[in-house]
Amino acid sequence: MGIIQKSQLKSPWVLHYDCSSCNGCDIEILASLTPVYDIERFGIINTGNPKHADVLLVTGGVNRRNARVLKNLYNQMPEPKVVVAVGSCACTGGVFYNCYNILGGVDKVIPVDVYVPGCAARPEAIIDGVVLGLQKLKEKTQMKSEEVAK
Amino acid sequence: MRELVIILLVLIAAPILGGLLSGIDRIITARMQGRVGPPLLQPFYDVGKLLGKERILVNQRQVLWAIGYLALVITSLAMLCLGSDLLIIVFVMAFAAICFVLGGLSTKSPYSHIGSQRELLQMLSYEPVLILLAIGVFLQNKSFLVKDIFARPEPLLFSLPLVFVAVLLILTIKMRKSPFDLSTCHHAHQELVQGITTEYSGPYLALIELTHWYELVLVLGLVVLFWAQPVWAGLLLALAAFFIELVIDNICARMTWSWMVKLTWTVGIILCLVNLGFNLI
Amino acid sequence: MEMAEGLIAIAIWLPVLAALLCYFGRSYGLRNAIAWITGIALALVSLALLAIGPFDYQPSGILGVSWDQVVTVADFALLGLILYIGLKNKHALITVLTLIQLVVLVYFDFFTGEHTAVNPAFVIDNLAIIMSLIINIIGSLICIYGVRYIAEHEEHHPVEKSRQPRFMFWLVIFLAAMNGLVFSNSLLWLYFFWEVTTLCSFELIGHNLDKEAVANACRALWMNMVGGVAFILAIVYLASSLPGQPLAIRTLLALPGGATGTVLFAVALLVFAGFTKSAQMPFQSWLLGAMVAPTPVSALLHSSTMVKAGVYLVVRMAPAYQGTYLSDLVAVAGAFTFLAASVLAVTQSNAKRVLAYSTIANLGLIIACAGINTPVAISAAIALIIFHAVSKGLLFLSTGVIEHNIGSRDIEDMGGLVDRMPVTTIIVAIGVLSMFLPPFGMLVGKWASLEASTQLPLVALMFVLASAVTALFWIKWLGRLMEGEPGLARMKPEKMAPHYVVSLGGLALGAVVLGMFVVPIMNKLVAPAVEVAYKTSGLFTQGGAIVAQTASKTIGAFTAWPLFVVLAVAILAFWLLFKPEKASIRPIYLCGENTGELDSTSFLSTADQAVESSLSNYYFSSSLNENKLNKVGNVIAIMVIIMLLGVTVI
Repeated sequence: MGIIQKSQLKSPWVLHYDCSSCNGCDIEILASLTPVYDIERFGIINTGNPKHADVLLVTGGVNRRNARVLKNLYNQMPEPKVVVAVGSCACTGGVFYNCYNILGGVDKVIPVDVYVPGCAARPEAIIDGVVLGLQKLKEKTQMKSEEVAK
Repeated sequence: MRELVIILLVLIAAPILGGLLSGIDRIITARMQGRVGPPLLQPFYDVGKLLGKERILVNQRQVLWAIGYLALVITSLAMLCLGSDLLIIVFVMAFAAICFVLGGLSTKSPYSHIGSQRELLQMLSYEPVLILLAIGVFLQNKSFLVKDIFARPEPLLFSLPLVFVAVLLILTIKMRKSPFDLSTCHHAHQELVQGITTEYSGPYLALIELTHWYELVLVLGLVVLFWAQPVWAGLLLALAAFFIELVIDNICARMTWSWMVKLTWTVGIILCLVNLGFNLI
Repeated sequence: MEMAEGLIAIAIWLPVLAALLCYFGRSYGLRNAIAWITGIALALVSLALLAIGPFDYQPSGILGVSWDQVVTVADFALLGLILYIGLKNKHALITVLTLIQLVVLVYFDFFTGEHTAVNPAFVIDNLAIIMSLIINIIGSLICIYGVRYIAEHEEHHPVEKSRQPRFMFWLVIFLAAMNGLVFSNSLLWLYFFWEVTTLCSFELIGHNLDKEAVANACRALWMNMVGGVAFILAIVYLASSLPGQPLAIRTLLALPGGATGTVLFAVALLVFAGFTKSAQMPFQSWLLGAMVAPTPVSALLHSSTMVKAGVYLVVRMAPAYQGTYLSDLVAVAGAFTFLAASVLAVTQSNAKRVLAYSTIANLGLIIACAGINTPVAISAAIALIIFHAVSKGLLFLSTGVIEHNIGSRDIEDMGGLVDRMPVTTIIVAIGVLSMFLPPFGMLVGKWASLEASTQLPLVALMFVLASAVTALFWIKWLGRLMEGEPGLARMKPEKMAPHYVVSLGGLALGAVVLGMFVVPIMNKLVAPAVEVAYKTSGLFTQGGAIVAQTASKTIGAFTAWPLFVVLAVAILAFWLLFKPEKASIRPIYLCGENTGELDSTSFLSTADQAVESSLSNYYFSSSLNENKLNKVGNVIAIMVIIMLLGVTVI
């Protein structure tokens, strides 16, 4: 494994987008930045900029208004990238399932790599989700390099 | 021949040193906040990752300015190590910073524009102190040449103590630490996104990170000048200054640019003037 | 030396002839041809002068009348004409100031007895050659540009009877006056040419004939007439305090032990005259008012003529007041103008006013260097005169092109110009970067001036503050020009008239090439001019670097070449290493709310309305008020000038 690929697993920069969450999951994401959970141990930095991010953390179900924004943010992120849906609403729409303004989970709009369940999702689960996302990232880059090799 | 060796050494050693220093920075900062923090090599992982990412741009001129920034910072660092004229080094540093600013201004992004305008104001803030440092050195040595500082037996710190304090002040600005992390930083993403670097990503952002490592070594190199003989004492002084900056970073909130300009144009300049005045008397 | 003397005659008479042809020829084709031919001829003349080197020249009389008498008659005619202008415009100040000069001139010519004839009347030394290179090369390029520009200008502002011939007449005759001014050794001749440039600038500033133009032209005239009064008084004082000696620059520079007593006062008056002409505080308002004129006028006034005449006189007189308090105060006055004008430039959004304040600031720097009065400082002053002329001429001319294309000279209207007018923008970028950054020529001057200023702490402090402010206003402007639309820019070079290609291209190339060859320029051109009076230029070359030395100790070194190499490598690396053309393009980040695809800079508001994002520079209007700053600055500057004249009396 090359240095770059190794680095990719060691430095996931995170973009956090709240679709229409009740803020429960958002608070837990921010909690994981605190000294108790200290996600910087894994090289994770919370950036506010899709152009710098590797991992997109989405909380809440997607509604008709912000589907466009979510897509735009996703498109602004450079490859390779991973999407982690955090919390029940982001996974499926949660309690808002079939609500008049809700499209459903994040995967209705952009491809999701990891689903982190919970209402709200626990910080440990979120960290776990990001680490799992990195495995997907590894697979993605390996697949890509195999394609290139072929 | 000796010059070529020095230039090569600067090219290779400075980013390693700068990267390690920013790794230490992140660990110390984490410890001050009661956290464990990332591994020492984290900055290298970051840059490695960025290099492997997709190339995304808003327009090409961004890259031109970023490369100009890198090239000129390396030049000024090399000039410092070769012992050239301190004034010219300051001017080349200014050109480098201007390239960075123009890189931010080369898109129509509101966020990078805010960052660039603030970076310009940062230049306005630290430039007088840097030039006064050069003049202070001249009044002591009757020479602007860095190599004459190294030829001087006693340290400059004793004759320029207040200038040293002023340099510590602008060191905070140059290292983009709180309370002056207003042009770009990871913590201001609520209001700034990423400031000047908002529209840079992937390898191009890596380029800027790399430049920041060189720049870190460069500004700490300016601190070394205060205790040039023996050099190890100067290096210790630079490390001490580095540590002080980290403490300041962790105990300060981000302040406004107008406060920064006022502070440096009053306290910073007056510190220098009082010091130089005493030297003249 | 026959040929050399012929060259002087050509340098002065050819523009006069060309101006008359322009005026009476009244056809664009003729003016065009004259501008090109005269321009090329004058440039060649100045290069020939450079090749020949310094010499003296005493023109013999014409038709049995000595040239001294011709100049005297011409003096009266000129003052009569200005008096007429003052009366016609009902401008009391101009009238009174002209009358004073007339009275003093009558007194001097008829009541002070016979004066020793000046021989030689023309001294072409190294400084004069440098000035003539600036005037004849840059000035000619501006005239070539002017032919075309003024034709376009009349398309934008139609007039009943074309005023183009008149415009070209005054533009070209300006070069003749400047040539005469820098070659003159006789103070009376210098005075004559001095007043001719005043008249020329009046006529050119008032070209548009609207109310504002006339008012500003009148202001320029009366302020310069103040300088004229000081000049003629200086001549009278010198005549009385140096009886039996010719009234010549050479006399003043050769005084044993420098100027003292009334002679020093007279020198101070001459310096004061230089201040008015080079628009130092508190006289800055005439140069700012001059912005109403068509752009070639601004370019000419700011780069190669008019204001350069002022600093020329101050630098020329420098050896006479070396080591006096006057010298220190000249340095303080110049440095103060440098600082105040730089701060004022920050508050401006009008590109031409930014340029004007920057000119005033740089002239202040040059004058401060003359005041510091060490060999290194004088070298810096001369270097600044050269490089400033090139860069500032370039910037004005390109601003003019921009103005004709976008119909505005406001910086806020120039956003993203790099996509629409890439060539002009790149030329502006060269101009801006060459104004204050290494490795270009201006910085050599700035560097040397800072190194020289260390003996005058107050001056050094003002230099330091002003240099820090300089970057702010330049980059604000350049940044707006450089911001580009998203997307891989397919920059289409705009079409330019050959006049513009030659003048802009020539000056841009000049700025870069002069920067690259700064070492030989300092060595071959500047150093000899300084060595005439100071024995050493203080700057030496050492392995491709310029080295500043005092008492055989190296105090600083400037290397230009490595920096150009670095910049070239950076640009090459840009294409080779990072292949930006292969990058994929994304729109700018607008919190995910971008309305369109790639090129959108607008976002959807909460009411689902598309809102265009807008950008603007900081102008610090809440903390820096132009009028207030000007007032405070003027009061301080007037006090410094009173002190400056006062110390010579005490």
